[in-house]
Amino acid sequence: MEEFVKLQDITKIYKMGEVEIRAADRISFSIQKGEFVVIVGPSGAGKTTVLNILGGMDTATDGKLIVDGEDITSYNSRKLTGYRREDIGFVFQFYNLVPNLTALENVELALQICKDPLDAKEVLEDVGLGDRLDNFPAQLSGGEQQRVSIARALAKNPKLLLCDEPTGALDYNTGKAILKLLQNMCRERGMTVIVITHNQALAPMADRLIHIKNGQVSKMELNENPMSIDEIEW
Amino acid sequence: MKKKALAKDFYMEIRRSLGRFLSIFFIVAIGVAFFSGIRATEPDMRYSGDAYFDEKNLMDIEVISTMGLTEDDIEAVKAVDGISEVEGGYSVDALCTEGDNQVVVHVMSILPTMNQVQLEEGRLPEAEDECVVDVDYLNESSWEIGDTVTFSSGTEDEITDSLKTDTFTIVGAVSSPCYIGFQRGSTTIGTGSVSAFVCVPDESFSMDVYTEIYAQVEGAKDLTAFTDEYDNRVEEVLESVEAIKEERQEARYQEIVDEAEKELEDAAQEVADAEQELEDGRAEAEEELAEARKKLEDGQAELDEGKSELESSKEDLERSRQQLADGQAELEQSAEELNSNIDTLNEQIDALNQAKEQYNALAAGGQTDDTTLATMNALYAQIQEGEAQIARAQEQIESARSQIEAGQAEINSGWEQIESGEAQIDQAEKDLADAEQELADGWEEYYEGEAEAEQEIADGEQKIEDAKKELADAEAEIADLDHPKWYVYDRDNLTEYSGYGDNADRMRAIGEVFPVLFFLVAALISLTTMTRMVEEQRTMVGTLKALGYERHSIAAKYLGYALLATVAGSLFGVLFGEKVFPYIIITAYGIMYQHMNVIRIPYNLEFGLMASGAALVCTLGATFFSCYKELKEQAAELMRPPAPKQGQRVFLERIRFLWKRLNFSWKATVRNIVRYKKRFFMTVFGIGGCMALMIVGFGIKDSISAIAVLQYEEIQQYDGNVILNEDASEEEKAQVSRELEEDDNVAGIMEGLLVQITIGNGEQWEEVYLNVPSDVDNFSDFVVLRDRVTKEEYALSDDGVVLTEKMAKELDLKAGDTVTIRDEDKGDLDVTIEYICENYMSHYLYMTPSVYEKLYGEEPEYNSICYRTVDRTTEEADEVGTQILEQEGALSVSYTTDLKQQVDDMLESLDIVIVVLIISAGMLAFVVLYNLNNISITERKRELATLKVLGFYSGEVCAYVYRENIILTLIGSLFGMILGKILHQFIIVTVEIDSVMFGRNVDVSSFLYAFLLTVVFSCFVNGVMYFKLKKINMVESLKSVE
Repeated sequence: MEEFVKLQDITKIYKMGEVEIRAADRISFSIQKGEFVVIVGPSGAGKTTVLNILGGMDTATDGKLIVDGEDITSYNSRKLTGYRREDIGFVFQFYNLVPNLTALENVELALQICKDPLDAKEVLEDVGLGDRLDNFPAQLSGGEQQRVSIARALAKNPKLLLCDEPTGALDYNTGKAILKLLQNMCRERGMTVIVITHNQALAPMADRLIHIKNGQVSKMELNENPMSIDEIEW
Repeated sequence: MKKKALAKDFYMEIRRSLGRFLSIFFIVAIGVAFFSGIRATEPDMRYSGDAYFDEKNLMDIEVISTMGLTEDDIEAVKAVDGISEVEGGYSVDALCTEGDNQVVVHVMSILPTMNQVQLEEGRLPEAEDECVVDVDYLNESSWEIGDTVTFSSGTEDEITDSLKTDTFTIVGAVSSPCYIGFQRGSTTIGTGSVSAFVCVPDESFSMDVYTEIYAQVEGAKDLTAFTDEYDNRVEEVLESVEAIKEERQEARYQEIVDEAEKELEDAAQEVADAEQELEDGRAEAEEELAEARKKLEDGQAELDEGKSELESSKEDLERSRQQLADGQAELEQSAEELNSNIDTLNEQIDALNQAKEQYNALAAGGQTDDTTLATMNALYAQIQEGEAQIARAQEQIESARSQIEAGQAEINSGWEQIESGEAQIDQAEKDLADAEQELADGWEEYYEGEAEAEQEIADGEQKIEDAKKELADAEAEIADLDHPKWYVYDRDNLTEYSGYGDNADRMRAIGEVFPVLFFLVAALISLTTMTRMVEEQRTMVGTLKALGYERHSIAAKYLGYALLATVAGSLFGVLFGEKVFPYIIITAYGIMYQHMNVIRIPYNLEFGLMASGAALVCTLGATFFSCYKELKEQAAELMRPPAPKQGQRVFLERIRFLWKRLNFSWKATVRNIVRYKKRFFMTVFGIGGCMALMIVGFGIKDSISAIAVLQYEEIQQYDGNVILNEDASEEEKAQVSRELEEDDNVAGIMEGLLVQITIGNGEQWEEVYLNVPSDVDNFSDFVVLRDRVTKEEYALSDDGVVLTEKMAKELDLKAGDTVTIRDEDKGDLDVTIEYICENYMSHYLYMTPSVYEKLYGEEPEYNSICYRTVDRTTEEADEVGTQILEQEGALSVSYTTDLKQQVDDMLESLDIVIVVLIISAGMLAFVVLYNLNNISITERKRELATLKVLGFYSGEVCAYVYRENIILTLIGSLFGMILGKILHQFIIVTVEIDSVMFGRNVDVSSFLYAFLLTVVFSCFVNGVMYFKLKKINMVESLKSVE
C-alpha cells in the first residue's frame, strides 16, 4: 500500500525569547490508508505538536507533510483551513462540543461546511446515540459527549481521524467503549485513525505504533495482528 | 511575605490585563465625567450667571409706583432692614422710527452704580441729548452710532413731559444685565412689544419723581443667584419692603392730595380775586359809560342850539338878499328910465342936429330971403332952445346916472355882505355837521364800549364759572384720587432673568436623565467585566485558597483592582468632566445669552463625590459579589471546571416549522443570545442607549426645525402681518387693505385684532396674543386650527375660544375649561375654551368677533392685516411689506421669515449639544460593544478555537460571532428607538423655552441616521474584534476547561 500520510523531517521550533524549544525534531514516519495508528509518548514528548501539524492547526518550522499526495506544509492558512474542514476529523480530549447545540446540531455544525458529509442522524445512531439526538451536551455523560464528538468528526467523512487523548477525561469502561468505537470505525469504514495517547496499554490495538520521545520518533512498530480493545486491560 | 507575593501578582495582573483595566478605567471615567459634568453644569450655570450679575451690580429688588417715587420713598426703602443700597431711576417707553417701521423702545436712565450697562461700542452718553442703544438692536437695525433718533410718547401726553428733549444722538452700544436674552418685554404703546432699550443720562429726564427704585439686599451678593438661599434672602427683605408699602403709598397719596389741595386753594383764591376784579370792573365800566353818555348828550344840546342859530341867520340873510334884489330891481328901473331919457335925449339931439343941418344948409345956400331968414331964425331959435333942452336933459341924465351908480354901489356892498354871511353860515353848517359826526361817533363808541364791557363781564363771569366748575371737578378728583400703588419686584421681573434659571433647571433635568443612562451602562459594564475577571481566575482563587490564604487577602486583589481602576477613572472623569461639559454647555447657552460672558466652572465636589461614590459602589459591589460567590466554594471545587451551563431550548424551537428552516448557526446564535442573558441585556442596553442618545440629538434638531415648517407652512399660512397705525384715520387704514388687495403678489388678506393680553388660570398668569379674525369663515385660509395628534381641524365658533397647546399646558387648561382674561379696564373676564390647537411659536387665544363683543362689550377694533403671497417666498413678502409701509395707515410689518430666523438661531445653539450627544453616544457604543465583545470572545475562546479546528474559515468564525452581534445590535437599535423616542419626548419638553413649543416629532431620517451611525460604531468595534478573533489559537481547543 502506498503511503497515505507521510512526514518527512518535521521540525517545530518554538522560540521563547532567547530560548529555542524543539518540540519536534526531524520526525519522519508514514501511515497507510485505513490504518489504526497509535502515537504514544510521555507528556511533553511532542505528541501534540505532531498532532497539531498533522491536523493543520499548526505549521512546521521545517520538513514536509504529505497527505494523500498533497503537500500540506506548503499550504497557506486559508488552504490549511480547507484541509481541516475537508480532510480532517478531530476528536478532542475534552469533547469541545458547542454547549448551546443539541447532539444532532453539534454534528450538523461540522457537516454544514463539508462538501460530502454523511447523514448526521445515521452517524449518531452508529455511535449509539440514536435516542439522545436532541439532548444538550450538559445533559450527556462524558462518554456520550465523546461519542458526539466522534460522530461530529466522522460525519465529515474525513481522510484522517485525529484523536487527542480521547479517553483522557473518561473513566476506564467508557474509555474502552470509545476506543472500541474508534477501532470499529477504522475497521468497518476503512478510515485512517490516529490516536494520540500517553497510555502504553493501548499499543496492542494499533496497526501501527509510533513512539515519540523528546521530539523524535524513538520507535515505530507494525502490528500484524492487532488486538481488539476488548482484550486489552490496563 | 505572602502579601508581597500577592502584591506582585496584583501589579502583574494589571499589566497583563491592561485592556481590561483600561476598559474599567474609561467606562468609569466616561460615566463619572458625564454624570458629574452634566450635573455640575446646572450649578455652574448659576455661578456664571451670578458672577455676571454681581459684576454688573444688578439690583435685587425693584419698586415701581403708579404715581412715581420721591426722595422720601428712597429714604424709606433705604431704612428697611436688610437693604444695603438704594438708587432711584427713571424710565419711559417711547415710540420712534427705524427705517419704515415704528418701534417701541424702553428709555431708561443710567444708574450711578447699579444695573451697570456694558459698553460694547462707542462711548457712554455725557450730554442730555445723547443716548446709548441696545447693542443687539443696533446690530440688526439700520441705526448706527452717530445717528439721531426722535422719540414720541405714543400717548396723549407729550414725550417732553418725561424727557427734556425728544431727539437724541446715539453715541454708543451697550448690553444690560436687565436684558440677558433676546426679549425686551412688553409695553402698552405701539405694537405692544419693546424692540430695544435705550439708556440716557439721569439729567435727560425732566420728571420730578423717580419711576422706579432699585435696591440691593444686604448679603445677597454673596449668595448665588437662582438658588433658594438667594431667593429666600431676597424674599425676606422683599417682604419687609412690602411692609412699608402701605405707609409709603399713603404718604405719597397724601403728598399728592396736599399738593393738589394747595393748588386747589390757590385756584379758589384766584377765582375769588377774579370775581372781585370783575365786580370792580363792572362798576368802573358803568361809571365810565354814564359819564360818556352825559358828555354826548351835552354835545347834542349844543349842537341843536347851534343849528337853530344857524337857521335864524340864514333867514336874515335871505331877507337881506330879498332887499338887495328889490334894490337892484329899482335900480334897474331907474337905469331903464335913464336909458329912455337918454334915448329921448338922443332923439332931441338928432332933431337938433337935423335943424342944425337945415340951418347950415340954408345958411350955406346964401339965400337971404326972409323966409329963409325967418326960417333961419326960427331954426336958429329952435336950435338954441333945443341945445338948452339937451343940456338940461344931459344934466338930468348925468344926475340920474350918478344916482344909479350910487345905488349900484350900495347894492353891491349889500351883496358882499350877504356873501360873507353865506360863507359864515356855510362854515357854521360845516362846523355843525362835524359836531354831529363827532357826536355820532361818540355814540357809536359808547355803544361799542358798552357792548365790550358787557362781553367782558360775561366772559369774566363765564371764566369764573368755568374755574369754579374746574375747582369742583378738581375737588372731586382729589376726592376720588387713585391711591398710588407700589409694585415690589425681585429679579424675576426682569425679562428672561428667570428664563436663565429655568434653563439651569432644564440642565438639571437633563443631568438627571442622561448621565444616569451613561452611568447605568458604566456600572453594568464594570460589573460584567469584574465578574468575568473573577470567574476567569477561578482556578487561581482555588489555588490560593488551597495554599491557605484567607478569603479577604484573595478578595483584596480583585477589590483592589476594581478600586484602583474606579478611583483613577473617577478622578480623571471628575477632573475632565466637571470642566469640559459645563464649559461646552454654558458656551452653547451663550448664544442665547450673548452678553453673559462670564463663565464660572468651579469643581462641584458633591457631584464628583456622588458620581465617584456610585461608581465605587457599583464596581466594588460587583467585584465583591463575584468574589463572594467564588470564595464560598471549596478549594477543590474551584480547581475543577465549573459545571457547564445548561443548553436551553428557546421559545423559537417550539415553532417547529420556523426552527427547522434555521440552519444550525442561527440556532446556535439564537440559543446563545438567550443563554447569555447578562450579555444580551448589556448589549441591548448599551446599543439602545447609544441609539437613544443619537435619536435625541437628531430629534431635537428635527423638532426645532419642524417648528418652521409646521408653524409657517401648515398652521399659519400667511407671510406677513401689517400692524395698522392706531392714530391713522379710517380712510388711511382702508387704504392699506385696498393697497394690499391690489398688490399682484398678494393672494389673500384678512383683517384682525391682534393684541397682547394676560390670561390665567388660578394663580398663574401668562401673556398671550389675542387674535380676533374679522372673517371667521375664511380664517382657515390663514390659520389652521387643528389637533396636533389627530390632525382634526377645528373651526372658530361663537361657543368659545381656541387656545394654543403650549399655553394650555402651562396653565393646565384643557378643552371645556374656563380661562380668565385679565383686562386693565374690564377686570377679569371668563371664557370657555372650546378647543386646544396645535401651535409652536408664541401663544395665541383665538376668538370670533361676536365672542369678543360679548366678552368686552364692544366690537373689536381691527388693528392688523395679515397677508399671504402668491408663491409664499420671502422676497414677495418683503416686497409687499416694503410697499405697504409707505402707507400712512401701516405702522409696522412682521414677516414670518424673521421668526424662521429665530428658529435657526435656536438650532445653532443646539448644534453643539447635538455634537456632544453624538460623540458621547459613539463613545458609549464603542466602549460597550468593545467590552462585551471582548468578554464574549474570551469566554468562548474554546468554542471558537474548536470551530477553527473543525475547519471554519476566519470569515465563518467571525460570522458566527458577528451574527450574534448583529442581532443584538438590531434588537438594541429597536430598543434604542423606543427609548430614544421616550427620552426625546422628555428632553424636548424640558428644553423648550417658554414662548415656543418644539415639535414632538422625530424624523424617519433621524432614526435612520442614528441607526446607521450605530451600525458604523458597531462595525468599527467588530472590525477591531476581527483581529482579536484571528489571533485565537486553535491550540486553545486542546486545553482543558478552565
